[in-house]
Amino acid sequence: MDSVLKRILHVDMDAFYASVEQRDNPSLRGRPVAVGGDPAHRGVVAAASYEARQFGVRSAIPMARAVRLCPSLVIVPPDFRRYTVVSRAVFEIFHAVTSLVEPLSLDEAYLDVTDNAWGETLGTVVAQRLKSEIHATTGLTASAGVAPNKFLAKIASGWKKPDGLTVIAPERVEQFLHKLPVDALWGVGPVTAGRLRERGIARLIDVRTVDDAVLRAAVGSQADWLRQLADGHDDRPVVPNRSAKSSGTENTFSNDLTDLTQIRAEIDEMARDGAAWLERKGLVCRTVTIKVRYSDFSTITRSHTALPATRHADEIAARATMLLERSEAGRRPVRLLGVSVHNLMDPSAEPDGDPGLPFSGPDEE
Amino acid sequence: MELVVRKTDLLRELQLFQGIVERKNTIPILANVLIEAGGDEVKMLATDLEVGLRSKCPASVAKGGSLTLPAKKLYEIVKALPDTDVRIEQDRNGVKVAADRFDSRMQTLPKEDFPTLPEATGTASATLPRDVLRQMVSKTQFAITGEDTRYFLNGALFILRPDSMGLVSTDGHRLALISVPRDKGKAKSRPEEEVRVILPRKTLLELGRLLADGDGDIQYERGDNHLFFDIGGRLLISRMIDGQFPAFERVIPKSNDKRVEFDRDRLTAAVKRVALLSNERSRAVKFQMDKGKVEIASSSPEFGEAKETVMVDYSAAPVTICFNAQYILDFLSVVETDSVGLEFKDEMSQAVLKPVGAEGYDYTYVIMPMRV
Repeated sequence: MDSVLKRILHVDMDAFYASVEQRDNPSLRGRPVAVGGDPAHRGVVAAASYEARQFGVRSAIPMARAVRLCPSLVIVPPDFRRYTVVSRAVFEIFHAVTSLVEPLSLDEAYLDVTDNAWGETLGTVVAQRLKSEIHATTGLTASAGVAPNKFLAKIASGWKKPDGLTVIAPERVEQFLHKLPVDALWGVGPVTAGRLRERGIARLIDVRTVDDAVLRAAVGSQADWLRQLADGHDDRPVVPNRSAKSSGTENTFSNDLTDLTQIRAEIDEMARDGAAWLERKGLVCRTVTIKVRYSDFSTITRSHTALPATRHADEIAARATMLLERSEAGRRPVRLLGVSVHNLMDPSAEPDGDPGLPFSGPDEE
Repeated sequence: MELVVRKTDLLRELQLFQGIVERKNTIPILANVLIEAGGDEVKMLATDLEVGLRSKCPASVAKGGSLTLPAKKLYEIVKALPDTDVRIEQDRNGVKVAADRFDSRMQTLPKEDFPTLPEATGTASATLPRDVLRQMVSKTQFAITGEDTRYFLNGALFILRPDSMGLVSTDGHRLALISVPRDKGKAKSRPEEEVRVILPRKTLLELGRLLADGDGDIQYERGDNHLFFDIGGRLLISRMIDGQFPAFERVIPKSNDKRVEFDRDRLTAAVKRVALLSNERSRAVKFQMDKGKVEIASSSPEFGEAKETVMVDYSAAPVTICFNAQYILDFLSVVETDSVGLEFKDEMSQAVLKPVGAEGYDYTYVIMPMRV
């Protein structure tokens, strides 16, 4: 067993985008809300409020289906800039308790609170305090899982939602594993779960006794990993700022775009997503790349590299839209657009250059 | 159309269009100059849709009309011609450009394709003295960022107040601000309020070029989306940059409590020499301020290190600040005063360079120190 038992938290904001919308627009409160794309244009649900979930509306289902499930559904187009602001506030709270914060998305992170700034010895207390600080700061609720490792913490946070707190104490891990179905595992989708069930593996602990060849036939190279999990082992550390090489967003449009203003707006938004990602990761980039796929599927990329490295949203957006001028977007119909940021570096490790004039900083006294 | 124009007249005007026409050639007509003959003059117009120039010169027009010709090629031809009359003539087969025994036929593009540019109303918003404007442009234009960054930094902020005018430019790392009082006697119509517009970098560049020779004041007019500068009969038409110029007042330090004064030539020479052994990428030079002297030092991982001491009048606490040598040299190359002052607080905060004893204008150059 582990020499030192870790205290890992997984914190997940409840119905994040939808909750932000309901918080900011009182008329949406208590109503089924789905944030996402237009149902007439192959839109997808990005987040559903708990009211909408009662109708079976879930994230990632087509919006058109969501509307059929819940005819009174209020559809709200996503506003990632606002979500990013809230996300930043939440992550600031995380970082106040430990530097070991591993973001999974805007609204979800692992925290290693084995040593924490609050000097709390119980992970449960840290989770409670985080939840109440998040609520006090953002008005939103989060669900948290506390466990000795990441995999159990993640399952725990999903155990009870919204506003939940589930603790899997080390001595209760074995008991917990016994009731865990295989499809509760992250990375095990319905197809894999089906294949496992066909082979008599319904609960995670069934993996322990199954023949290796049978397991391999079902999940391939994931077999060893699954066996570790079945024993409750997961020694993956919480890694702040995973060393990503790039990050990108792409969008395929339901109708080809020809309006340059709209094309610019799409690029601008994706570039800002890239900047928000850099912000979360604490990185800066030197290269901005755009990708344009025309209606005939021919695809081009255009890159721009400059020093000093940046994560300034306006700058990245300006560079991305500027790159559009080196494409034929608009003159030729566009089917897909993408923006990515590369050549990442940690600004604190960059001795060259100056931090830039503090235009947005506080006024001088 | 048929006209005859003196080579020197035409060449002088065509030269001014070379910076205006679109180089990237994405829209073919933008590489052309629109030539309109009528009365006893020939008018010319070129634009890249951001900046446009209207100009004219005397000509004897046998047959009025208009056509377009590639601006660059036409300039090359006219430049190569002997000093004589040039004949431009359109017939069914194309456009003939001829002089002396030289004869040529040039490709034209339909004049209907030429973009329509907004017209000035002719009622100037303000009269700007030529020398003052030239000075303002030359002292700010270098600090505008190159292409491809925050687009609102691709221009300079022009501020017109009843009693002063100013121009501010920044690339996010340094900022140049010049402010000049306005001569009250010369005003015809005065804007009551402060006017702020962002001029594209190219406009400033062309403005600098057009102001370089000749005399007479500049008539400035603000349209809906465009600005017009009438410079001795030539009209520079500029799109305004849409966007919010950064809050530049915020980065001008107010609590710099230390100051060193340098002889400009001595400082220029020292920085140039020391910078030869600076890191090629960062171009960092270190200013070590100490009692009575400043040591300017550099080091390059590949080549070695250098230092030079400049004796100055300084008695405050020792401070070491690191700057990009290029930013310092840019400033030093546009000021004329014998002395320049460096004002600072510590190694992290913005420093300010100013000419000492400059008359008739106030020039502030803010530099962000580099991390040591």
